[in-house]
Amino acid sequence: MTQNWPVADLDPVRRMRVLAAATPGVAYAEKIIPAQFQTVWEAASDLEHELPRMITDLRSFEITSTRGERLTARARGRLGQHARFDVVLRPGWCVMQSRFIIGGMAATPEGQATRFAFLGGLRLPGIRLLDPLLRPAAQPLALRPISRLEHRLQAR
Amino acid sequence: MTVMTGPPAIDLALVHAAQRGDPIAVADLMDALAPYVGRVCGPIALQDGPDAAQEALIAILKNLRGLREPAAIYGWVRTIAVREAVRVARTAARAIPAELADVPAPGDPQLAADVRDVLARLTPEHRAVLVLRDLEGLDERAAGAVLNVPAATVRSRLFRARRSFRKAWLR
Repeated sequence: MTQNWPVADLDPVRRMRVLAAATPGVAYAEKIIPAQFQTVWEAASDLEHELPRMITDLRSFEITSTRGERLTARARGRLGQHARFDVVLRPGWCVMQSRFIIGGMAATPEGQATRFAFLGGLRLPGIRLLDPLLRPAAQPLALRPISRLEHRLQAR
Repeated sequence: MTVMTGPPAIDLALVHAAQRGDPIAVADLMDALAPYVGRVCGPIALQDGPDAAQEALIAILKNLRGLREPAAIYGWVRTIAVREAVRVARTAARAIPAELADVPAPGDPQLAADVRDVLARLTPEHRAVLVLRDLEGLDERAAGAVLNVPAATVRSRLFRARRSFRKAWLR
C-alpha cells in the first residue's frame, strides 16, 4: 500500500535554498528570468564563458578536468589571484568550491520562465559567528550575477 | 565504510566531511538524503510536502554537527523530517479532524488511487503515525518517541486513522 503514498520532490532551486541556509557566510538570491529553462541553463552552465561575465572580479575560469558531473577548474581574478575549484555540474545544478570560496547556481522551470538561484560566499574560520550580520547585507551581491545573465539573454 | 539503517546506504566518510563543513559534501549528503526525507514528508505534509522537505533538510544540515552517531543518521533524520512535516502541515492549516474522515482500508487495490485523498482527510499528527508505523515499520513506543507522545497516544491515533480508512471504504 505504501508504494502509492505521495513523495515530496525537491527541485534544484529548493535544494540550493537548503544549501544556502545551511552554509554560513553566503550571499543568496533568486530571480525569475523570462526565458525557457533550456536557454537559461545552456548559457549558465557554459562556465568558461559565462562565469567571468556574471562575476566581474573573475578574469577567467578554465575547466581542467571532467569526470561525469565532477569537474575541476582553475580560476583567475582581475588582480592576478588564482584558485583551484572542485565543481559539480548537472542540469539545473552547479556547486563549486575552492579553499576559500563557495559558489552555486540552480535553475528550475516555472511556466515558460525559469527560476534562477545564485549563491556565493567565503569559507573562512569564524564566518559562522558573522553570518547573522553578513547575510542580509550580502543578498544584493548575489542578485547582480543573475541580472547580468538575464541582460545577456535578453540581448541575444 | 558504509552503513545500512534505511534505504539507501550512506557513506560515513561523506557524513564526516559534511560535518566538517565541506560545502560539496554537504550538497552530496543533501542529494543522498532528499529521497528519504521526501518519502517521509510527502504523506504527512501532502501539498506542502516540498516546503516540509526543504525545511527538514535545512534543520538536518544546520544541526549536522550535533549528530553524535553518524551510523544512526536515518533515525535522526526521520525524527527531524516527521516533526518538520507535522509543523509545516499544521502551519498551513489545511488539516481536517480525523473524526470527519472517510475512505478505504490497507491492502485494498482500490486504495492506491485514493491514498492521497484518504491522507488529506486526516490530521498531520495522524498521518505521521501512519508513516511511522506503516512506512517506517516502527513499533508504537518508537513512534511515540519520535512524536514526543506516549505509546498509548500512538495506539489511539493509529486506531482512529485506520478506522477512518475503513469507514470510508465501506461507504
